[in-house]
Amino acid sequence: MNDTTTLRLMVKLVRQYPLRYAVNVVTWTVLWTLPILAALIARAYFNRLESEVGLNVPTLMGLMGGYAIFRLAVMFVGMYNDVALMFRLGATMRQNMFTRILSLPGAQAIDESPGEALSRFREDVEHVEETTSWTVDMFGSLAFTLVGVAVLWFVNAQLTVFVFLPFFLVVFLTERTGTRIRRYREQARVATGQVTEAIGEMFGSVQAIKVADAEAPMIRHFERLNDVRRRAMVKDRVFTALLESIYWNVVHVGTGLVLLVAAIQLSGGADFNVGDFALFVAVLMESAEVIHHVGMFVARFKQSGVSFERMVGLLRGAPAEELVAPVELRLEAGRTDAPVPRAAPDADFDRLQVRGLTYTYPGTSNGVTDIDLDIQAGSFTVITGRVGSGKTTLLRALLGLVTPEAGDIRWNGDVVDDPAAFFVPPHSAYTPQVPRLFSMSLRDNLLLGLAVDDGELWDAIEGAVMTPDVRAMSAGLETQVGPLGVRLSGGQVQRTATARMLVRRPQLLVFDDVSSALDVVTEARLWDRLLRSNDRATSLVVSHRHPALQRADQVIVLADGAVAAVGTAKELLETSEEFRMLWFGETE
Amino acid sequence: MIPIRAYLELLSRYLRNQQVRVAALAVVLIGSIGLQVANPQIVKVFIDRAVEGAEATSLTPLAVAFIVIAIVQQGLAVLATWVAENVGWSATNELRRDLADHCLRLDMGFHKAHSPGEMIERIDGDVTALSNFFSQFSIHVIGNALLLVGILLLLWRENAWIGLALTLFAAVALVVMVGIQTVATEWWVSVRAVRAQFFGFLGEQLGGTEDVRANGADGFMLHRFTGYLRRWLPFELRGRWAWSMLWGTNILLFSGVTILVFWLGDRFLGDGTITLGSVYLVFHYAGMLHTPLERIRGQMEDFQKAGAGIERVRRLFGIETALTDSGGVKLPAGPLRVEFDSVEFSYDDGADATAERVLHSVSFEVAPGHVVGVLGRTGSGKTTIARLLARLYDADSGTVRIDGVPAADVLVANLRRRVAMVTQDVQLFRASVRDNLTFFDESVPDEAIWHALDQLGLADWVRSMPDGLDTKLQSGSGGLSAGEAQLLAFTRVFLEDPGVVILDEASSRLDPATEELLEAAITGLLRNRTGFIIAHRLATVERADDVLILEAGRVVEFGDRARLAADETSQLSQLLLAGMEEVLR
Repeated sequence: MNDTTTLRLMVKLVRQYPLRYAVNVVTWTVLWTLPILAALIARAYFNRLESEVGLNVPTLMGLMGGYAIFRLAVMFVGMYNDVALMFRLGATMRQNMFTRILSLPGAQAIDESPGEALSRFREDVEHVEETTSWTVDMFGSLAFTLVGVAVLWFVNAQLTVFVFLPFFLVVFLTERTGTRIRRYREQARVATGQVTEAIGEMFGSVQAIKVADAEAPMIRHFERLNDVRRRAMVKDRVFTALLESIYWNVVHVGTGLVLLVAAIQLSGGADFNVGDFALFVAVLMESAEVIHHVGMFVARFKQSGVSFERMVGLLRGAPAEELVAPVELRLEAGRTDAPVPRAAPDADFDRLQVRGLTYTYPGTSNGVTDIDLDIQAGSFTVITGRVGSGKTTLLRALLGLVTPEAGDIRWNGDVVDDPAAFFVPPHSAYTPQVPRLFSMSLRDNLLLGLAVDDGELWDAIEGAVMTPDVRAMSAGLETQVGPLGVRLSGGQVQRTATARMLVRRPQLLVFDDVSSALDVVTEARLWDRLLRSNDRATSLVVSHRHPALQRADQVIVLADGAVAAVGTAKELLETSEEFRMLWFGETE
Repeated sequence: MIPIRAYLELLSRYLRNQQVRVAALAVVLIGSIGLQVANPQIVKVFIDRAVEGAEATSLTPLAVAFIVIAIVQQGLAVLATWVAENVGWSATNELRRDLADHCLRLDMGFHKAHSPGEMIERIDGDVTALSNFFSQFSIHVIGNALLLVGILLLLWRENAWIGLALTLFAAVALVVMVGIQTVATEWWVSVRAVRAQFFGFLGEQLGGTEDVRANGADGFMLHRFTGYLRRWLPFELRGRWAWSMLWGTNILLFSGVTILVFWLGDRFLGDGTITLGSVYLVFHYAGMLHTPLERIRGQMEDFQKAGAGIERVRRLFGIETALTDSGGVKLPAGPLRVEFDSVEFSYDDGADATAERVLHSVSFEVAPGHVVGVLGRTGSGKTTIARLLARLYDADSGTVRIDGVPAADVLVANLRRRVAMVTQDVQLFRASVRDNLTFFDESVPDEAIWHALDQLGLADWVRSMPDGLDTKLQSGSGGLSAGEAQLLAFTRVFLEDPGVVILDEASSRLDPATEELLEAAITGLLRNRTGFIIAHRLATVERADDVLILEAGRVVEFGDRARLAADETSQLSQLLLAGMEEVLR
């Protein structure tokens, strides 16, 4: 992303908060330029001591006190305003990314691993947030430079030229060193990544290592990586120290030059003035800080382009402006959000027809091709097939959790244009093969914000064969789920997800292979409850187990991503070789 | 607070090998600090001479000396960083290695309770916090303490009263700064906690988009999202308030000391005790006090962090493996006899109170060179038998004997070389095929690897990879199918030349080409070895001499496969009739 785009996005981001930004510019400009005032007070002091002119010492002491209190007050305002603004800017980007991810097809909402995506929500947002905050300091640096040069010029023009000479050298030097530093930092980061990755892999295959008695060579390998990292780290740190020392050298060499020029001027008959000397040295010190800051800002600004790019990548095709678009943040304290009532379907479900549904995973030949499917209201349909035959893909393509390449989906005869938006409650609900629960109470996990009474909730739990499990938990529905609370077994997670689906009372229930964590008896009980209930829902189920297959009104056999056979289990046992193989297990 | 003794122990252990570097560091550091405090003295002389109206010729050398000393001092400071960083990283790398080695040798109970992610945090995270400590302690704490003392001594030299006043100031400043930091740190900790909650929530969301979408819960999750942000903001504000307080304290303290210097300078210049150059020197030194005080304050926080790190590192070193390695028996070459004699086992390691017994009085005996097909549902105890055989755990009661010797009496390293195991999910390293086969052991020659691949019929397969043995693999099983990953694991095992091979078949469907390779490789691997195959396919059962069927941790059938298959009442016959898949899932 080029600098202009980076700047444009930053401007767009702060434009929502013009007042806060203006306050920031004013306070930080004052804070940056104020030290010149302190330097002038010091000059007045030494002038007083040297030649008894100007303000007396007690007045200067009072002025110094006033200076401190004023600086303190401005600093508090600036700090508070800055954090309040930065938090909002970060929250804006985070909320925009999150909203976008939630609106994308569920099974392909992010390309990256969750850890990688999370790092963009964390590091990249922080980086842009801070760099945007630093733009204010650039106004301050500019103001300091202008005021500083003006004051020094007024005091001693010749000296001013010599003092600022080293600065040009430094700007040039740091520009050169800056790229080098970034390279070393990158090398250090890579080397560190290799070390942590080696630890992760080593302990990820600890059993294989133990069984092979390979501890010693693994540790030698680890030592080699550690050594590479040490060298990279030392290089990085030493270069950082070198860069720091350049700034200090500016101060010292500059001070030395002031002494040198003073000596020469003295020989020309001019007066040496301790107050002026103190002023020059103080401004020099501050200038070093300013230059250091500007150098870092330039580097950070360039990196912000990368951060913006990474965040925009999460938006998956949406324009970059969406990242920085204004949002309502709702940060006011005490605000709560009301639960949502269950949506009622607009019409009774009659039939679902699918024609020619096709989806291929990008970059592979895996997927489903040209699938036809008919589901009648109240029926129990089972999709079966070997591992890799496309069962899950079929469900995902149908429900819009991935975007199908081709196909026609009709609900009650009407074409479904946007399956991702349509196949949600009250039309359908879905339990993936490995359902995810979230770190909140069991009740919240089941309701996900739905407003229903406890009776209905318990009905859903009962339907999912989950009642005894919940009764056995001491906190019942308030049990905290997840790493910080109770770790549920695989079967309990499956059944919680089933209850979560049932409580929404969708017209179509979709299960992806609940059998992977349920035993045969529980699974049979689950199907029986589902089929016996009065307002019998339509079910679409992926399974390869007998309890489901036996109860199915129709079984769809998939092989290599296409429909191989359709019928009841009884019919298929006679007609389909593939189905017999699945039913009896594979034989040679 | 700071466990000084623990810290010193660690310091002395890991700095012992680096005495020369440490000595060099001390010299460079003292030199650098000496120059740093000496340079302002030149300014003082310059001012005094200039005010007296001295000749420019006597002033120019002073100015030049000032510049030269400043540059040399900066050079020394960089050199000090170089030495200190090398000392720090060498020492902590040694510590990382010792920790990794120690943990790698702990029993599987430990590894079951600690994820690889946690190990990264404990071996690298904690130690890196320490490494800042090792390398920066010298520069920041010792260096700045020396600098502070140097400045104060030189102030006393100018004037005792001024020295006393500024020493008192430094002491008060340090106490105030550290005090405020203690409060601030608490606030930062709570900011970190509330941030962690937000990102924990977000991480779960990013992994569960499918569930959220398909249940129409996106609106609900967005509300929770803003809820977390709403709770976070006040903590962030307070955290920044802590920064403001620290900065504000600095402003007040150093404006205060300037006012103090104004007064003292005026007073003692007035009675002629000191010169104008001295007043400037005092003014300059007072400004210089800022850096060491600030650094020492910052280091207090690192001290505490490092303290917590040291404590965790010590605790980790304190954990001992549950498996003793007291046996000295070495197993002979060739296929080995395996016996289980009334073996009982549970994974109860004290932490998990609900641990159930997973093996109940398991007994069987396998003749050398026989292949056993192990059948049973998930949780029936198949994997546990494999683990006991590889001595990843010890039986609670009963005995596992290999070649007639109880497993506990065999040297662990020897047992693990003679008993090899291949699991269903083979984890690969992000490294070359060669390194994956040898576990990074550089002493294994390529000829040995190619020989093993030849024997298993895999040489052509590896040759067909883009760079042969140098082909880079991805982490996990990335890039390879489960079956292909197993092929590599077979080669790992073959290189060890074990007497017993345990093999947990991949249960996922294999493509025909891989299946063919796998069949041939298994034949090569089992030749003249005792074999245990945890079977998921009928074809595998058919190659077994004996069959062991388990149910809920008990042996329900064990015997000659051909005989059992012929007997219609046997469990094996029932199983073949009902279909494998249903049972073996």
